[in-house]
Amino acid sequence: MNAPFVMPALGPILPELVLAVGALVLVLIGALRGEKSYGLVNGLAFVVLALAAAALVAQPAGKVLVFGDSFSVDGFARIMKAIALLGSAVALVLSVDYLRRENLTRFEYPILIVLATLGMMMMISANDLIALYLGLELQSLAAYVIAAIHRDNVRSSEAGLKYFVLGALSSGMLLYGSSLVYGFAGTVSFPGIAAALQGQSSLGVILGLVFVSAGLAFKISAVPFHMWTPDVYEGAPTPVAAFFAAAPKVAAMAMTVRIFIVAFPGIVGDWRQIVVFISIASMALGAFAAIGQRNIKRLMAYSSIGHVGFALVGLAAGTAQGVNGVIVYMAIYVVMTLGTFAIILGMRRGDTYVETIDDLAGLSRSQPFMAYAFGAILFSLTGIPPLAGFFAKFYVFAAAIEAKLFALAVIGVVTSVVSAYYYLRIVKIMFFDEPAQSFSPLTPALKTVIAVSTIAIALFWLAPAPLVSAANAAARSLF
Amino acid sequence: MTQTLPNLLNDYLPLGIFIAVSGVIGLALLIAPFAVAFKSPDPEKLSAYECGFNAFDDARMKFDVRFYLVAILFIIFDLEVAFLFPWAVAYGDLGWAGFWSMMVFLGVLTIGFVYEWKKGALEWD
Amino acid sequence: MYQAIVFLPLLGFLIAGCFGRFIGARASEVVTTALLMVSAALSWVAFFQVGFGTGATRIQLMNWMTSGALSVDWALRIDTLTVVMLVVVNSVSALVHLYSIGYMHEDPARPRFFAYLSLFTFAMLMLVTSDNLVQMFFGWEGVGLASYLLIGFWYQKESANAAAIKAFVVNRVGDFGFALGIFLVFVLTGSVAYDAIFAKVGGLGEATFRFLGHDWHALTLAALLLFMGAMGKSAQFLLHTWLPDAMEGPTPVSALIHAATMVTAGVFMVARLSPVFEMAPTALIVVTAIGATTAFFAATIGLVQNDIKRVIAYSTCSQLGYMFVALGVGAYSAGIFHLFTHAFFKALLFLGAGSVIHAMHHEQDIRNMGGLRKHIPFTAAVMAIGTLALTGFPFTAGYFSKDAIIEAAYASKNPAHSFAFLATVIAAFMTSFYSWRLYFLTFEGKARWGADAHSLHEGVEHAGTAAQGGHGHDAEPASAAPHHHDDHGHHGDGHHAPHESPLVMLIPLGLLAIGAVAAGFAFKEAFIGHSYDAFWKGSLFTGQGNTILHDMHEVPKWVVWSPFVMMALGFALAFYMYIVNTGAPRRLAEANPLLYRFLLNKWYFDELYDFLFVRPAKWLGRFLWKTGDGRIIDGLGPDGISARVVDITNRVVRIQTGFVYHYAFAMLIGVAALVTWYLLRGGAH
Repeated sequence: MNAPFVMPALGPILPELVLAVGALVLVLIGALRGEKSYGLVNGLAFVVLALAAAALVAQPAGKVLVFGDSFSVDGFARIMKAIALLGSAVALVLSVDYLRRENLTRFEYPILIVLATLGMMMMISANDLIALYLGLELQSLAAYVIAAIHRDNVRSSEAGLKYFVLGALSSGMLLYGSSLVYGFAGTVSFPGIAAALQGQSSLGVILGLVFVSAGLAFKISAVPFHMWTPDVYEGAPTPVAAFFAAAPKVAAMAMTVRIFIVAFPGIVGDWRQIVVFISIASMALGAFAAIGQRNIKRLMAYSSIGHVGFALVGLAAGTAQGVNGVIVYMAIYVVMTLGTFAIILGMRRGDTYVETIDDLAGLSRSQPFMAYAFGAILFSLTGIPPLAGFFAKFYVFAAAIEAKLFALAVIGVVTSVVSAYYYLRIVKIMFFDEPAQSFSPLTPALKTVIAVSTIAIALFWLAPAPLVSAANAAARSLF
Repeated sequence: MTQTLPNLLNDYLPLGIFIAVSGVIGLALLIAPFAVAFKSPDPEKLSAYECGFNAFDDARMKFDVRFYLVAILFIIFDLEVAFLFPWAVAYGDLGWAGFWSMMVFLGVLTIGFVYEWKKGALEWD
Repeated sequence: MYQAIVFLPLLGFLIAGCFGRFIGARASEVVTTALLMVSAALSWVAFFQVGFGTGATRIQLMNWMTSGALSVDWALRIDTLTVVMLVVVNSVSALVHLYSIGYMHEDPARPRFFAYLSLFTFAMLMLVTSDNLVQMFFGWEGVGLASYLLIGFWYQKESANAAAIKAFVVNRVGDFGFALGIFLVFVLTGSVAYDAIFAKVGGLGEATFRFLGHDWHALTLAALLLFMGAMGKSAQFLLHTWLPDAMEGPTPVSALIHAATMVTAGVFMVARLSPVFEMAPTALIVVTAIGATTAFFAATIGLVQNDIKRVIAYSTCSQLGYMFVALGVGAYSAGIFHLFTHAFFKALLFLGAGSVIHAMHHEQDIRNMGGLRKHIPFTAAVMAIGTLALTGFPFTAGYFSKDAIIEAAYASKNPAHSFAFLATVIAAFMTSFYSWRLYFLTFEGKARWGADAHSLHEGVEHAGTAAQGGHGHDAEPASAAPHHHDDHGHHGDGHHAPHESPLVMLIPLGLLAIGAVAAGFAFKEAFIGHSYDAFWKGSLFTGQGNTILHDMHEVPKWVVWSPFVMMALGFALAFYMYIVNTGAPRRLAEANPLLYRFLLNKWYFDELYDFLFVRPAKWLGRFLWKTGDGRIIDGLGPDGISARVVDITNRVVRIQTGFVYHYAFAMLIGVAALVTWYLLRGGAH
């Protein structure tokens, strides 16, 4: 009873601590200095994110479990956290100009991003069901508010509300599933669950797993738990959609991978069916539904659904190679997504942001830089070699084939072909249609993001080794 | 069987006494006003109290959102306070780590409080 | 030196083709022509070195491809046969280049024209210097391509496009046989290089090839397949229909490609593969029969044609038949000799015709000419020389080569030799007739051109039209004639006089005329005479029993005289009908309307092929296109799939209602479906 309450080691959670303390300080600054403090808070938010990244990079390699094994700091967590931090930071960069033009300069916005990022990092490192839920909710609650940040706008409010209601439902499912798993396994710790099951699945555990999967699938917006995605992306302010599409997806995917691989390694055959189903449904819906879209943000929502389906192909393999594929996929996906949203944010005439595909008509003549960069990104999203998107798909499909999931790989390739239709249609509109009214010049921040992401995509084939080998090592740290 | 039943009832005796006493006190307090209190009824006094609303009105009436704000803020702090009880009970066993944990918790809470105060959430108008 | 001969035209093509737009038309002309001149000069040097010295060699350029047992080199095989062809090709090509500077001077697309000409020359050189069948096939297709491009050079003209396609397609039939022949040779000998083939072919005399349940004599089959290619390229009977239509191309093209060089590729190929053909006597019978038939058949058509170029085109076809007769009876050198001389006088005739057309402002119908000798005397003179050479007037080029063929046909032991002899002798008569008819109608008699000439030219050859009550007997010339008149009236209101061509056109004519006169006399001994062995040095193969070259000098006197007599008779008849009694042709045509129309319509081959192949092919094509491709493949394939994709999209998009409870419902359904799945599956396994 009187076991000494030992002070937990705080070193491994330094990045999270930085974010947490930073967020609190920013709240205080914002609260004390009032609405005018947006610029300062925003700048400091970058500092906080940078410090967290620095702390993350400075961490020694190897695997550390803290807080009673509920928090795992390993190679997988580090690389996913790095991607998530990058995604958050770039989303923040993209938002500055937009918020100023739309009069949304609230100091809460950067703070919420930082808090959401904190939640993501907890999700990524979560090693038991409770830590997972904590991280998930921290991230989600911050996200609900950000979605509705433009609270005078009906669509933004609607997006926030829908996200919240459905998110609550999914959280409920997740919790219910967690309780079932806990009830049948007797523990909430992932390694503990794995040890308790000993490779044997009972119906109760499977049901719990189904509900947990539903909750997770909601977060990564996989079919049939994707319905919020198009409405939220379309309704939320564009930089918010960019944020949602990038970092939280990475975190949720990391969380999904960790729970399946670490907690249920013995029953791959059981959960693989869920993953395969969700993956196929996502790829197919992402490909088909996007064809009918005229709004580019909605289109990107379906595109992200499809890409999650592709990434899940790697998870379905259930091997280190598959996880490697997922990591590579998500890293490249984040770069492509941020590039795309930077372009979308560049679709501005004066102070008006436009969002339909037809507004891109003849872009190659009015803004060749933008058109060619977007063209490259779209080809990459389609998965055309030698662009990065091809390698992303290649690694997951290769893993699926190694795992003898031929049908899944074939369906993946087919849906990828279907998805080429809507990506390339944009290219066609940009390059061959009669020019629409041209856009205002790109801001330097957007230009930089577009240029960097395009270069990264276009030249990835020159040096894929750093990412791939890091992902490989990270994937092995889970097994 | 025959032995255990009286024992069981005996165990509930204090409870029975407690219920009886509280019942007597309650009744006494209800009845006493009728006997001793000064009465001056008017319609306002006779109507049922419903949180500041008319008791009989359209169910879909407008409803000031500030009520919710106050209620939510109250619930947050209420729950945090509830969290203090088990901590206080086990305080002796937790040591400095326990102490500082709760201090951090309260610190976060305080920052939240500062935020809501500064945002004007606590002012009705 | 040989590399220079072969690659200078390619260089010219690249310069004119790639940079013609920048360096201008004049520079393109000068560059290509100059390069060709150099090439031609070097060819003559090579000719004397190899033919009259010892220079036969093989120059390896590179290994082209190696795939399993198939190894193809890119090499230049230089022997007497090659240098003969080099001389023919490069000389004619150089002269045609020069001539074209004058002839095409009004055309805006001259760089393209000269680029094509040089490209053709390069491909032809590839063909004649080939060291293996694949390389020959490369050149074979290259000249086919250049021919296609040049026939359709005036691509604005629908008829030119149609002719170009026709030439290409008909040649495909032959090429198909050629390719199969190459495959069969490779199967039989395991190689495509000539040396290896010739080394092995002797041992394959009895080899058979099983196909369709029947054992075929392998070498005969191979030779026939290869000959099929030659038939296509050299416009032999059954595959000849493209050659007259090819006259839609500019006249220098007709001279270069469709008279002197490309069409003789088939002859060259058979001569080159003489070791194979020598081993396949049955194939030689076919070669003889086809050649003789062509010689006769084309000559009959030539009798009544009215387009100056078509007459010469049928003449070419006929003369090619002669060459094949020579090859078929084993007198390869006679065939090549005729090829050699024919190149000069036929190019001369074509270029002369071009000069006439040039003078007449693109009038091609000889019924609308006449009396031109006074206006363009030089052209008339060289045309007369060409006609003499073609008809075999003693001591001109044609006299030596053609008579040699007729004698060889008589002397041969080939079962088809009597038919061949008969056909070639009669054809010699007809050749003389139509050649002189062409000459008389064009240069002699009264002028039937100019504004007041409408009534004048009624009398001569419009007999056919009149005889049929104005019903167009010959679709093309009849419909073309009024058109020409329009042009004509446009040009000079009938008062312009035909003018002699510029010097740049006359020089080639003069040079070719010299060749037409002297080529036979000068090289007779070398090609078919006593210095045969010293000249050819084994580059033409003759079998053990093949003594034709000896036998053909031993024929009876009447045989020797027969071609001359025929030539004289043909001249006399033509003179009678077109100079003395100009009403005779009309009466003759009226008397034999069926025969006249039969000949005028070219034995109805175009109509027959149209009925047999073109229309069924078009029907099949349309069927496959509309029903097969459009409805079935597109319908079930791309179109169907894309339509289904859109359907699915529309349905999927409709799911997205925007109502939050629908979304929640979808999530619950998803969970319920997964749970149901696991329950039905039996949960734990």
